[in-house]
Amino acid sequence: MTQPLVVELVDVTKNYPGVKAMNEVSIQFHAGEIHAVIGENGAGKSTMMNVMAGATQPNGGKLMVDGKETTFPSPLASQAAGIGVVYQELSLCMNLTVGENIMLPELAKRGGLSPLASVKAGHAAKPVLERLGIGRLDPETPVAKLSVAQQQLVEIARVVNQDVRLLVLDEPNSALSPAESEKLFEVVRGLREQGVSIVYVSHHLEEVLNLADHFSVMRDGQIVASFEKTDNVTTDTLVSHMVGRDVAVADQYSTRTSVQDVFGDTVLKVDGLTVPGVFEDVSFDIAKGEIRGVAGLPDSGKDYLGDAIFGLNQRSGTVEVNGIRLSPNRPVHSINAGIAYIPADRRGAGALLSMSVAENTIASSLKRFLRGGLLHRKLIRSTTEDYIGRFDTKVAALDQAIATLSGGNQQKIILSRGLVTEPKLLILHEPTRGIDVGAKAEIYDILKLLAADGLAILMISSELPEIVLHTSRALAMAEGQVTGQLSGADINEESIMALATRSRRHLT
Amino acid sequence: MSDCMTASQDRSSSRLKTRAPLWLRLIARKELGVFLALVVMCIFLSFATSGFLTSLNLLNVGRQISLLGIMAVGMTFVLISGEIDLSVGSTYALSGLSTGLFIIMGLGVLPAVLVGIMVGVAIGLVNGVLSTYGRLPSLIATLGMMSIVRGIALLMTDGQPVTVNERNGAIPQVLERFEFLGQGYLFGVIPMQLVFFAIIALIGWLLLSGTAFGFRVFAVGGSAKAARVSGINAERVKILSFVIMGGLAALAGILSMAFLPSGQAGRTGLGLELDVIAAVVVGGASLSGGVGTVLGTVLGVLIIGVLRNGLVLMGVSPFTQEVMIGLVIIIAVAIDKWSTRNRAS
Repeated sequence: MTQPLVVELVDVTKNYPGVKAMNEVSIQFHAGEIHAVIGENGAGKSTMMNVMAGATQPNGGKLMVDGKETTFPSPLASQAAGIGVVYQELSLCMNLTVGENIMLPELAKRGGLSPLASVKAGHAAKPVLERLGIGRLDPETPVAKLSVAQQQLVEIARVVNQDVRLLVLDEPNSALSPAESEKLFEVVRGLREQGVSIVYVSHHLEEVLNLADHFSVMRDGQIVASFEKTDNVTTDTLVSHMVGRDVAVADQYSTRTSVQDVFGDTVLKVDGLTVPGVFEDVSFDIAKGEIRGVAGLPDSGKDYLGDAIFGLNQRSGTVEVNGIRLSPNRPVHSINAGIAYIPADRRGAGALLSMSVAENTIASSLKRFLRGGLLHRKLIRSTTEDYIGRFDTKVAALDQAIATLSGGNQQKIILSRGLVTEPKLLILHEPTRGIDVGAKAEIYDILKLLAADGLAILMISSELPEIVLHTSRALAMAEGQVTGQLSGADINEESIMALATRSRRHLT
Repeated sequence: MSDCMTASQDRSSSRLKTRAPLWLRLIARKELGVFLALVVMCIFLSFATSGFLTSLNLLNVGRQISLLGIMAVGMTFVLISGEIDLSVGSTYALSGLSTGLFIIMGLGVLPAVLVGIMVGVAIGLVNGVLSTYGRLPSLIATLGMMSIVRGIALLMTDGQPVTVNERNGAIPQVLERFEFLGQGYLFGVIPMQLVFFAIIALIGWLLLSGTAFGFRVFAVGGSAKAARVSGINAERVKILSFVIMGGLAALAGILSMAFLPSGQAGRTGLGLELDVIAAVVVGGASLSGGVGTVLGTVLGVLIIGVLRNGLVLMGVSPFTQEVMIGLVIIIAVAIDKWSTRNRAS
């Protein structure tokens, strides 16, 4: 290793209640090199980034900068040491110009009355834009007018402008087209030539293979494999290391054998479904009694699929339930046709957070609880009690605010609300996100019973074990398209990952 | 809000044993604080003044608060649905004046009143459509409508006062019946305005706490997105709330016209929207939506009415009265906010 060491982690451990997010992680970042860190959701990549950014404190191990042990009690300390992080979520001020955004950290340091002109003026930001090879970008342009790709470059420019020696990029190309990604890679390679050490965190294995000098694969809070560019590593090797736990985890859950594999008539028919800019031409059917999974990375478009089918956003293409064609933007129509939808954002879109358990249970079927124009309280009570008993939901009282329940119990109430409408199709998006293991298992059991009773279920999930163990067929999506369909024993983490990381230009 | 839905409902035996006993649930009711404040105020005034605790004065207070109360019931729906309506003072003026003019033109009481109400309903509809499909914040939409409606009233009357009497052309029998609405007494004792308020409050309470529509108002105000996922048409619910508000503001304006019986577009109901919002907020409704009850609103209206009456009886100057009322609004809402924050944490 000829290049000098910039930052090194030695046996760094970070515990969260019940989870070892980082377990004795040791990793080195050298000047003028691109180091790719890859791994599934929850592998520990974000925790490692947060430790380096000073956003969280490790429980053990050493953090070395230029060979000297140090600590980052705050993000400011990390920045002072020359570490810059560009997060996946952009944090630009949309009301300001390119130049103002780049100079923002500088402005923040100034006294309240110091004159602005010198910093605010466009030319102050010019050098860093030229350094990144994007000197054609006018510093006077409002950021809001730029494309997402350009905004990302501005964000990188802002961080690089802070005399950065180690630049961490979190999923930088997840929202970019192939051409835009190529531009980004040019910028990243340019920084490498200038001696910056770059940590590139990504799911996109093929791109990473072409770009990086080193590869570290994380899984379950540990670094499970490391490669050099010269090792001629392939995506298959990386994928197998990313998911390597297949058998080990499967044993903890029930096995696939209880998933039904024989189906009845078609319930849902989706044809040519397109949400502009998110995904296009998605077509599939779901049969009575089937649990259909949809897997994909965060930028695959799968996260908009539930909303689109249920009719919460603009779409083109057709959605039919039992032969009835649904109109877009009419959730009421979808419910009447027999869809129950459980969105991923449980607190924001799922639960009626200001209302009680009983109210949440009946909210989608108010008409059935009217007697002479008034809500029939006894009927509401008995129905709610039925469902609480059926799903073993832990509630203190029926008028308890749903906000005070645990995530798992909230989810059971929202599930009840859907089932009270007597649906034909249940759509779940991240059905067990943020739910503890015990309640997870209960929810899977409930879903299997419902499927056995003939309910068609669409389960959109980022958690691969969920898809592998609890679905009868599964779709994989990547970059806004369906890249493949799996069924039965073919559904495993490797096969899903291979489809989910396939990029568009390799399809055509 | 859960209280209005389930707290009072169940005497049936429950599998869930952890239900609080009745006295605890009564204490936990949000309206209790406002109610206690009202009781304390009444007791104090009974001793501090000789004129407060007489049936004449109490009925007088009842009449004085009625118009504010009728509008406050409507505002309760609008605030719970997560919106606000600043145009109600102008609606009050335009509807009252319209009905007055129609009576002067020789129309009967019923058609004249209906026209006035329809004016209010139409204004509510415009407010609602602008604030939902028009994607304007209701603060802005109704601020604009406040000015527009006031302007229409000024144009319609040329800024001149409108007095409903025989000299101006009203038919004597019609005038008598119209004035009864605002000045009359039921059974010779209860002011008609108070009768209207009581009926409106009762209907409002039933609608909000007992019907599917009331449920939807709470759901939409609590989280419009979750309500949509539940299959509730949030736009329709909000528009209906504005329409109810508009109709009730119109009714109050018409009753005011019948009481006085005159009005002037430049003065009638000026600033009334803020009194209405203040009363509802003192009654425990939240400006951010999802929270409120008709009972609380009625108590809020009573607090403001009793306070004003008591200050007059005690000979406090009108200027000082304004300061006192402002203080009560701030203190009442502060207590409510601080206590809910403590409960949450």
